[in-house]
Amino acid sequence: MEIVSLNQISPDQVIIFTWGFIKLNVTILYTWLVMAILMVISWLATRNLSSEMNVSHWQHFLEVIISVVRGEISEMTKKGADNYVPLIGTLFLFICTSNVLVIVPGFVAPTSSITTTASLALCVFIAVPYYGISRNGLFHYLKEYFQPNFIFFPFHVMGELSRTLALTVRLFGNIMSHEKVIGILLAVTPLLFPVIMQVLGLLIGVIQAYIFAILSMVYIASALAEDEHHAHVEVKQQSVTTV
Amino acid sequence: MHIDWFVLFCQIFNFLLLVYLLKRFLFGRIIKAMDDREAKIAARFAEAEELKVKATEAAGLYEKRNQLLNEAKEKMLNEATMAADAKRKELMEKVRVEVDQVKARWQDMLVREHDAFFYDLRQRAAKQLYATARKALSDLADADLEERIVDEFIRRVKALDEEKSIQIRNAIRGGGNKVIIQSAFSISASRQAQIEEVLKKQITNGFTLRYMRQPEIVSGIELRVNGHKIAWSLNEYLETLVESLTETLQKEAHAA
Repeated sequence: MEIVSLNQISPDQVIIFTWGFIKLNVTILYTWLVMAILMVISWLATRNLSSEMNVSHWQHFLEVIISVVRGEISEMTKKGADNYVPLIGTLFLFICTSNVLVIVPGFVAPTSSITTTASLALCVFIAVPYYGISRNGLFHYLKEYFQPNFIFFPFHVMGELSRTLALTVRLFGNIMSHEKVIGILLAVTPLLFPVIMQVLGLLIGVIQAYIFAILSMVYIASALAEDEHHAHVEVKQQSVTTV
Repeated sequence: MHIDWFVLFCQIFNFLLLVYLLKRFLFGRIIKAMDDREAKIAARFAEAEELKVKATEAAGLYEKRNQLLNEAKEKMLNEATMAADAKRKELMEKVRVEVDQVKARWQDMLVREHDAFFYDLRQRAAKQLYATARKALSDLADADLEERIVDEFIRRVKALDEEKSIQIRNAIRGGGNKVIIQSAFSISASRQAQIEEVLKKQITNGFTLRYMRQPEIVSGIELRVNGHKIAWSLNEYLETLVESLTETLQKEAHAA
């Protein structure tokens, strides 16, 4: 079975098993693989967690990552960062792991499927009003759609939809195009150049994971935004979306 | 672009499941461990701060006590110094008194020894002189010394001027008309009669004469009556001898 071919734009098309409307394709399979890997690493990393002063190198590593995530979130939300760490952290770890594993021959990143990126973007799309309403209340949340006046309501709605679409397409486009470029290069150039492209692909994968996670947090934070740090979130959003 | 809705919902479910699992087994645990450690560190800091405050208080207390101790020590030292000074002065005074006493005793003893020495010297010299004079007189002039002494005594009585005679007479009367003649040797009866006769003729008649032998009067004779005396002895010569000798000794002592 050829996993990726030029005429197959998405791994969703590689179906392994079908039963009625239930079908198991490569995207789901590799998603489970990534989930399993993350769970195994989590189990290994957290089985000997200690709150004492002397901790293992693993724990130090994890704590550094969590601290960075918390720090990034805190910059935008100012308070209650731990509430968003699971969602944002999971987004980052899942996308990053998926993107990094493309270095393994035969592995296809689930993030190269638009279905996966759309599902992640939908989760963010739902999370934004969820956190916004749970923090500021429904009225305050909805009021933001009519700022500075009611004429802007359609634009706000369009913005919500378009940024979700942007999240979806940006990640999908980067990862899928990279894989396709590698595939084309393998066909037309010697081995050395695709290896360099693979390394570049790893960098792009990590950056895209970071961008997706940060943008998600920015969107959530904009829903949480109170007047005093609304401007700060806007500036952050502009700087990230330009990447 | 085709989106498979089943796969879409599957992926949403998978992702939410992953969020839950990672929250449960990764983030939750790590955040809890970090928070616990932060709480422990904060508790340690608080404890350290509390200990620091206690230590500062204790240091202040000990510094105050130390200051009090130093003041007490200074006070005690001053008192001890003053007491020592007083005691030293007292002891010095005591020693000075003792030294003065010893010195006085020593000087007394020295004077006594000096006196005893010269008394003894005088006695020995008188005896020797007396013996020498007696022998020389006997050998050269065939005369008796005692006789010559009595002659000299009689001559002195006879040589008394009127005023002196009156004084002695009055003294005899004031002393109950008793006259004692002391001598270092025995005086013969004839010579006693001679003396009595001279006294009666020169001074007065109304008195009782009595003779006493007194060895201390070295080779001499004397009449004592109520503060007045008529005498001759070697003592006059011996006094000169003792004075000369004392002067010589003092000169030698200064030279040493």
